[in-house]
Amino acid sequence: MISRKISSFWNGIKNFNTYIISIIISFKSIKHLRFRSIFTIAVNQTKFTGIDAMPLVASIAILIGGTVIIQATENFPKFGIEGFIGNLLVLIIARELGPLITAIIVITRSGSAITTEIATQKQHNEIFSLELMGIDTKLYIVFPRIIASIFSIFSLIIIFDIVGFLGGYLIAVTTVYIPIDNFLTTVMDAFSFEDLVITLVKSTIYGILIPLISCYYGFMPNAYFEIPIYVSRAVIRTVWIIFLINALISAMLYF
Amino acid sequence: MKLSKNEIRVAVFIIVPIIIILLFVVLKLGYSLASSTVDVYLKVENIKSIKKGTLVKVKGYEVGRIIEIKPVYKPTLHFLALMRIKRDIEIFEDCSAIIQNQNIIGEPEIEIRNPEKKGELISKASVIEGIEYVNLDTILQEAHVLLANLADMVDVFKGISLDSKSNIKLLVTNLANSVTTLNQILTDSQKDIGLTLTSFRKTASTLDEISRELKKHPVNFLFKGKKDDEK
Repeated sequence: MISRKISSFWNGIKNFNTYIISIIISFKSIKHLRFRSIFTIAVNQTKFTGIDAMPLVASIAILIGGTVIIQATENFPKFGIEGFIGNLLVLIIARELGPLITAIIVITRSGSAITTEIATQKQHNEIFSLELMGIDTKLYIVFPRIIASIFSIFSLIIIFDIVGFLGGYLIAVTTVYIPIDNFLTTVMDAFSFEDLVITLVKSTIYGILIPLISCYYGFMPNAYFEIPIYVSRAVIRTVWIIFLINALISAMLYF
Repeated sequence: MKLSKNEIRVAVFIIVPIIIILLFVVLKLGYSLASSTVDVYLKVENIKSIKKGTLVKVKGYEVGRIIEIKPVYKPTLHFLALMRIKRDIEIFEDCSAIIQNQNIIGEPEIEIRNPEKKGELISKASVIEGIEYVNLDTILQEAHVLLANLADMVDVFKGISLDSKSNIKLLVTNLANSVTTLNQILTDSQKDIGLTLTSFRKTASTLDEISRELKKHPVNFLFKGKKDDEK
């Protein structure tokens, strides 16, 4: 039983490795693709992954920023560190929760949609038709989605951070007065170049991994009934990998 | 090339965060969009000693003024005075702001004192805790009240002592009169006592004589007086 699991896990890694190599190889044929077609897919995907997800991301950011600040204003005075609310927001929202929650929202919303879309296209032989036309489907389907995800996740993380800070501030001013310029200065001071670089690194890694894994599982189903199975698998495994990557990045760059 | 509505929205969605990041980088690198002044807050418990326009100085050199005072109600009532300070003198974080008087009767001013160890330069919207020297006007007023009370007390003591003086004088006079009277009484009493004693002796001899007569002739004694009356 355990050996079968290990074997299955190992085969999965091998298949995923082959899939990545095939995508890298397919970059050779990028000159044969029309820019406009890739651009249109990327724009549509960015709209769906980024713009359409903005209200959800913003509302969650306000709630999380508010929750963090409520806890901080309640507990910080006990330790005499009530002046570090801005630092706490940067630590929790900008460094960890912002990228992580944005990635989870993108996975559950767009990752599952990508898997379902590709799986459905495959079942309808649309992908086969593209291949018959000589179009490199790996490049045509995966590459624009990676570009779109990188930009979308980057923008969503920035929006999440800003809305989280403002939400936190709005909640904070109900209990303790902090001048807005003072608050912004504190946040600016606490937010370092290192945080900015890590945000960029995380958004790039998540932007590559989420569509890559989602597309990988989208290509897997061989029947209609397998689509929900692989969608579920895609979401769960992507979430797990994102948590793992987030922990590794934090450990590597902040330790 | 005409862009579609979606393409414009996506472009805005990507460009706005990039601009924010670039702005952040520019500000972090130390470029300031502000002028040659920096606005910092002074936190004070009350505004008895400061007002809009109060000077801000560093070692006597004027670096700015208070441009606005606003009350803050949370967590308890205090005030934030917005000081606009010129950047031509270095003021560091962890500096202290002491509210004091220019001289005995002068306007109050805020003296900024830099920390001994130089740190980061003070940044926009920093909050400095105001340390208030006890207001000279208040001290003078309190001293004035104290002196007035003291003068009243001295007057009362003076009145009491004056009254007491005349009373004591009267008392001594009365006492002297009393002694004289007592002496007179004693002098007069001495004569009277002698006479009284003589009179007592006479009475005693008369009574002795009566008792002897009564013993010898009791009946005659009883009727002697009656016969004398009838005579």
